[in-house]
Amino acid sequence: MNNTNFEKDLRAQINALSNEKQPERDLWAGIEVALTEETGANQQITKTSSESRFKMIAIAASFALVCVLSWYSLQPATGQITGQDLVAALSSQHEAQKDALLVKFQDQPALTENWQKQLSELDEAADAIKAALKQDPNNIALLKMLQNVHQQQIDLIERVHSPKWRQI
Amino acid sequence: MNTHGNVVSAQRTFEDKSERDLITAVQQGDKNAYQRLYQTYIGQVYGLCYRLTSDKSLAEDAAQEVFIQLWRKIGNYKGDSKFSTWLHTVTSNITISYLRKQRGWVKRMFNIEDSEANYYAAEESTDLSELERHVARLPERARIVFVLHAIEGYRHEDIASMMNMAVGSSKAQFHRAKQLLKEWMGYE
Repeated sequence: MNNTNFEKDLRAQINALSNEKQPERDLWAGIEVALTEETGANQQITKTSSESRFKMIAIAASFALVCVLSWYSLQPATGQITGQDLVAALSSQHEAQKDALLVKFQDQPALTENWQKQLSELDEAADAIKAALKQDPNNIALLKMLQNVHQQQIDLIERVHSPKWRQI
Repeated sequence: MNTHGNVVSAQRTFEDKSERDLITAVQQGDKNAYQRLYQTYIGQVYGLCYRLTSDKSLAEDAAQEVFIQLWRKIGNYKGDSKFSTWLHTVTSNITISYLRKQRGWVKRMFNIEDSEANYYAAEESTDLSELERHVARLPERARIVFVLHAIEGYRHEDIASMMNMAVGSSKAQFHRAKQLLKEWMGYE
């Protein structure tokens, strides 16, 4: 009986409780300060984070560059790609120089009749050397031979169009 | 009668929409909206904090902690339940966690002196009911379990999870709280 009364009394007192209670002091001011500080801290973290990310990217890029350069430097000096690039660069440079000379001397009579045939033979020689370089791009002697043939073509064009005695 | 029912229903719908708009604004970072939300719910939050802590100062600090953490957590509210229900759970969890941090959890669990101090402070408070004064006097773990189960309606399984204890312990603490209340209310 006592127990039943207690349960009833307890239930009644629980039901009578108010769900709400107001604090005696204003809590919002403290909350607002905390939120402002938190927002500031978050912005600082974001800023620091983006700065760090930039530094990390810069470091990673530098490291990658060092790795690539090291890799290339460790490759044989006349590796296939490097050797072929060198042949292409030499040929391109030579063609430009040759064309400029031919344009320069186009209105000038040549001293010999067969200079173009000689030029053509040197072209064939250059093509043969380039073909050999494709097979053996590391061959320094072939590269020197190619340079030599190119130089012979330049000398031929200049010699037949501009003999030394005319240059005085 | 039917018209009255429609008016009540329409008013409820309007209030729900206003609250949804307010919560959406808060989720988008509107601090003015958050202050309005605070004004709406501070009574409910502080009331629960006070019941759980039985200490005005701790309850105020815990309520502030709730609203500071709520600002970060409100994005998690998806509208599946009523906001007040969701906030109630958030408040309970944060307050229990706050109590753990404030004083050694183990010390508080067995320190009857704190409960006695709360009792005398509660005795001086004129705005508390007889039951609230008795609840303030309960040992902390028994008080929290009693408040969450008998007053707030949580299941022992939920309380056990919130307080990191076994379900049996929650039931035992509830029994203990009731025995003490029975005695203090003059039924034994």
